[in-house]
Amino acid sequence: MSTERGANERMLDPKVLRDDSRRRFLRDAGLGLGWLAALDLSGELSPAFAEGAPSNPLAPKTPPLPATAKSMISLFMQGGPSQVDTYDPKPLLTKYNGQHPPESFGNAQFQDGQFKTSLLLGTRRTFGKYGQSGLEISDLFPHTAPLADDLAVVRSCYHEGFTHSQAQFLINNGWPRIGRPSLGAWVMYGLGTENANLPGFVVLLQGGVRTGSAVYGNGFLPAIYQGTTFRSGSNPILNLKRPEGMSAQDQRQMLDSLGKISENYIEERQQDAELTARLSSYELAFRMQMSAPEATDISTESDETKKLYGLDDPNAKAASFGGRCLLARRLVERGVRFVQVWSGDGMNATDWDGHAQCDQNHLDRAKETDKGVAALLVDLKRRGLLDSTLVTWGGEFGRSPTSDGGGDGPSDKGGRDHNPYGFTTWYAGGGVKGGKTIGETDELGLRATVDPVHLHDMHASTLAMLGLDHTKLTYRYLGRDFRLTDVAGKTDLAAKLKA
Amino acid sequence: MKQIRAFSSASAGMPDKRDDRTMRRPVLKIRSKLWLGLCLGACIFSPIIYSQNASNAAGDEAAITLLNGKCATCHGQSRMSELDTRNRESLLKGGSRGPAIVPGKAAESRLFLAIKREGDLKMPPNVTLPAADVEAIRQWIDRGANWPSTVKVVEQPTFWSFRKPVRSAVPQVSDTLWAKNAIDAFVLARMEKEGMRPAPAADRRTLIRRVSFDLTGLPPDATDVDAFVSDQSPDAYSKVVEKYLASPRYGEHWGKAYLDLVRYADTAGFETDHFYPNAWRYRDYVVSAFNTDKPYNEFVQEQIAADEIWSNNMDGDGSTRAPEKKQQDLLRRVGTGLFTVGSFPIEYTYFGEEARAEWQSEAVDVTGAAFLGLTVGCAKCHDHKFDPIRQKDYYSLAAFFAGSEEREIPLVNAFAVQTYNRQMPLIQFAEKLKSSGAGGGRGRGGAAAGRAAAVKPGVAGDQAALPAAAPGADANAEPSADPTRELSAAQMATRAVAMQKLGEAYARLPTKYATATVLAHSDSIPETHIMVRGDWKQKGALTEPATPPFLGTGPAVNEPKDVLVVPQRRKALALWLTSPENPLFARVEVNRIWQALFSYGLVRTPNDFGRQGDAPTHPELLDWLATEFVEKGYSVKQLTRLIMLSNAYQQGSVGDIQNVKKDPENFYLSRMNRRRLNSDSIRDTILATSGNLNLKAGGMSVIVPLNKEEMEAARMPQLWPPEPDPREWFRRSIYLQIKRSLTLPMLAIFDSPDSAVSCARRDVSTVAPQALALMNGDFAVAQADLFAAQVKKEAGDVPDEQVNKAWRRAFGRIPTAREKEIALDYLQKNSLSRLCLFIFNITEFIYVD
Repeated sequence: MSTERGANERMLDPKVLRDDSRRRFLRDAGLGLGWLAALDLSGELSPAFAEGAPSNPLAPKTPPLPATAKSMISLFMQGGPSQVDTYDPKPLLTKYNGQHPPESFGNAQFQDGQFKTSLLLGTRRTFGKYGQSGLEISDLFPHTAPLADDLAVVRSCYHEGFTHSQAQFLINNGWPRIGRPSLGAWVMYGLGTENANLPGFVVLLQGGVRTGSAVYGNGFLPAIYQGTTFRSGSNPILNLKRPEGMSAQDQRQMLDSLGKISENYIEERQQDAELTARLSSYELAFRMQMSAPEATDISTESDETKKLYGLDDPNAKAASFGGRCLLARRLVERGVRFVQVWSGDGMNATDWDGHAQCDQNHLDRAKETDKGVAALLVDLKRRGLLDSTLVTWGGEFGRSPTSDGGGDGPSDKGGRDHNPYGFTTWYAGGGVKGGKTIGETDELGLRATVDPVHLHDMHASTLAMLGLDHTKLTYRYLGRDFRLTDVAGKTDLAAKLKA
Repeated sequence: MKQIRAFSSASAGMPDKRDDRTMRRPVLKIRSKLWLGLCLGACIFSPIIYSQNASNAAGDEAAITLLNGKCATCHGQSRMSELDTRNRESLLKGGSRGPAIVPGKAAESRLFLAIKREGDLKMPPNVTLPAADVEAIRQWIDRGANWPSTVKVVEQPTFWSFRKPVRSAVPQVSDTLWAKNAIDAFVLARMEKEGMRPAPAADRRTLIRRVSFDLTGLPPDATDVDAFVSDQSPDAYSKVVEKYLASPRYGEHWGKAYLDLVRYADTAGFETDHFYPNAWRYRDYVVSAFNTDKPYNEFVQEQIAADEIWSNNMDGDGSTRAPEKKQQDLLRRVGTGLFTVGSFPIEYTYFGEEARAEWQSEAVDVTGAAFLGLTVGCAKCHDHKFDPIRQKDYYSLAAFFAGSEEREIPLVNAFAVQTYNRQMPLIQFAEKLKSSGAGGGRGRGGAAAGRAAAVKPGVAGDQAALPAAAPGADANAEPSADPTRELSAAQMATRAVAMQKLGEAYARLPTKYATATVLAHSDSIPETHIMVRGDWKQKGALTEPATPPFLGTGPAVNEPKDVLVVPQRRKALALWLTSPENPLFARVEVNRIWQALFSYGLVRTPNDFGRQGDAPTHPELLDWLATEFVEKGYSVKQLTRLIMLSNAYQQGSVGDIQNVKKDPENFYLSRMNRRRLNSDSIRDTILATSGNLNLKAGGMSVIVPLNKEEMEAARMPQLWPPEPDPREWFRRSIYLQIKRSLTLPMLAIFDSPDSAVSCARRDVSTVAPQALALMNGDFAVAQADLFAAQVKKEAGDVPDEQVNKAWRRAFGRIPTAREKEIALDYLQKNSLSRLCLFIFNITEFIYVD
């Protein structure tokens, strides 16, 4: 990365200056862009570019720091699961259920109301201790709970965004609005991908996304780093399916004819690398049409595996989530760098957005996801993939320990508002030593109080697990070297996760 | 007396990306002599040379020249960190960190430590001064930091783009035949200096295709190509240029690039993604401005402050026919729609003040990028790290927008409004029917919409009157789901009757008069404070409207404090921005015009003319164009014409291979840059080729149908009701609705901007999904079928003729023998539709030489 060099060095060394300029030019012109540059079939670049030719920006790169994880699966619980009903038990909250919070807890702004004027809402869930570690997990997750010793539960996550889009952008892009690259895009930029025939950053959606696709977008990074949405079935990527009546052979014929008809055209244009790159992109597209359906074709999986992921679950959403988890494993297995699996379709009632009847909402969501999440961990482990795959579970924020006040007045709906001031995310695999909690919220579960982990710290640490230095993974845009963690971010979480 | 005019010889060096390199050369010459002298001095005399009596007037002057050249751009008029390096007293006084120099003691002087880059402070921020310069300054301080009275204080900023453009003499060239106009002379002079020759001129087919795409974004008709090829008249080429300049398609293509620049979209983005119902009026205003060649300065003045500059518009005019002048002024005001179509997170603007701060910031960011070509936005949270823009300057710019807010205004006179209003009982009747249950939906909107309406009128005004949110409503009120879901058969029947009545009532409703969303003024002008670290809750110092001092004398705002006045802030800003005194305004725009014709600007970072941006490859030409642009009344078409008529523009894209090797980035313009069409042009060209392009201009944005996969990430698919009339689906891309939360895959795949911030130049990527879109995508496949039908109509069933006709439609020419052979071979094994699809995928189809 050019940006790893100090600005001064770049300024003074004319060669570097030139390289930098060339690199940017190549980027702008799209030369070598795509999952294609390394696959340049001709193997020849035009004489103009032979010297200092661009390397494939997606080629796998050795991480600059020691890495414990090679790939990552983010299990994204859209809407924001409640910490006090899942992984962060608060007996005091149950005790004071229905009362106003004590003055000593101060106040906090939620989306629909304020902390001090709302009534406390104790959990209706029962917590148990699991594994040798005795990690406390609620009865929402009977399948995940037995895997307690694999989970490092961070109870002290926090940030500043108390609405969905702001928070989803923060958690995924490190910035509360559109325009910045997502974590997955940064990871791709830093590490490239191991399977050139598949996108290296895949997003598996349930449905709608509150923030729109920018939340897994490339921001100002080149478009090759953006997340590609994959569906299960034979047509996993947009436009992957050939037109009605066109066989693979027919398409091969089209590509061959394209190659022939381009010969003179490119020859007359001094072997312009951009033009040959375009032909290569067709070859890659052709190969993707083979490899992507192969990756999504689960017919080769054993019945046991399918059952493990709950593909036979009569709850269609559970079966579908399980399918996405299985697909995530298959993709990581095939060298995909970063997979994000979504739960929730962007609407209150069907996300983890329990503004009303939070308990029922979470029971429903848990039934849809618990089996799939557990299966993913078990399956990764038995295939020896968990050690190199960092798995995270969490939403864009947590939920309030109080009843939702959104225009309801004193709520008897058992709803919970958004809470970015203290929430839970767990980490597993990829060098994480499980069976522990990190950090604490206060006695009511409102704010992170012990070892608070800001979202920039989460990002800095995640990058660190993958062997990337968040202060050096920069990209120059509009005159500034941008990074995922803006001007902040600490990596002590990574050390704690590994300890 | 001596001032080294660092910039004057900037063109002598390679057009490196950093200005300091281009400025370094002349300084180096002086320095090397000085360095030699100093070395000798040190050897011959004594190891301790900093005694104050060791006077060295030449050395003092050289050191001060260095300070002026390297420091004063930021630490001059702009006084970044309160430091002014332009005289001895202010250096002694220092800045916010304390004194900058301690005479006689360089080692204790902040200035020296900073340029030595020891300690926290490292200056200049983006470049290390050569050791000899550092040494010269050390010796100067150690000598006592003497300031000879012969040295004048620098008034002008020293950085090239912050100085007013000066029209340079047109250079002499040896090949006077090639140099047809001034542009050619500048371009050729540069090439000759490098020992390069221009590429041979492009042939006529190539040329007309280039001109057509550059001016209209569409391919030329085959008949126009033939006519040009056979036109023997001396002005054949200029006639072609005029034809496309006069085409209504010109304004659409150039307007689209401008809309990218001002981050245009039809919705606000974020979770709620509010719809801007009148955004299209602004879009049409932009297209029309380009088509009528509205002077660019006037165009920008209108967008920033039409209501303040041409205030006599139709507001409150009750006459049935308003005077023409008033009507014109009203249409100018539509331009202020610029500040009503940005990305705006309405769902978390919980507090009026936050929303206002958010909106003002957005206004400053887009103004700074589009009209100053500077990354002003960097100064929102702290002083700019590289350019002399202080945080204070950012909020002083924001203060120009204080007291402004958006408002929906009628574009008709008051009588027409009343004519509509008197039909209100019909509307109320329909509303009553609807609320009685026929419509099934209940009013939702909620507190957030109400709050938003309170601070951002016109966005959610209707919802503001609704009672508090429905139970459990989120800020993102969701339109009701299918209301019939739980109804019995009998209920359904009742409902059907009610729906029938409701439908009839709605059919009788009058059509609402035309409105536009524009800037207006609030009742009072709120204060603008610096936001510490960009956080609206942390109020810093109060600011008044002012422009950054490094850009010269700012405008005066004349607003009496204690009487009711029409605010004049944006007017002051607009007139200053567009004044020839602003060093950036014309330069930035002519650079973009150049970019539109050559793929790259003379400054290759079109939105960053600051120190982190690229230096101009042809500084004299850039300034010549800027002054020419101003002299010729800011006519975009005139400047475009001038450039297009140059031989530089008419070069072929294949140059001498030695030139290509020597200058692969084509900085010296020894050939035309080859380019891929942008996303809009690709789609439009497919439609034009298939014979289906609907050239209807203007009007409400069109919602095209998307397939299931394309709709997948859409949160509320019901808010994307596809246009029922299929002919509308084939409108030019500029007329398709841009929804910030739902990108159109066909356009996004080919690098459409995300409308988050100003985009002055689109990226061009080459990725496999593009191949998939053109080989397999619904759009390409369907258009290939239509294309085939068209070819068949023209050519009948004879394959040879089919190939000829198809090629003519797609490339404006008949195929070469080799192409025909390949095509016929393909056609033998495949349908005509497939051949047409094949053509869409040929590189030449989306590339222009």
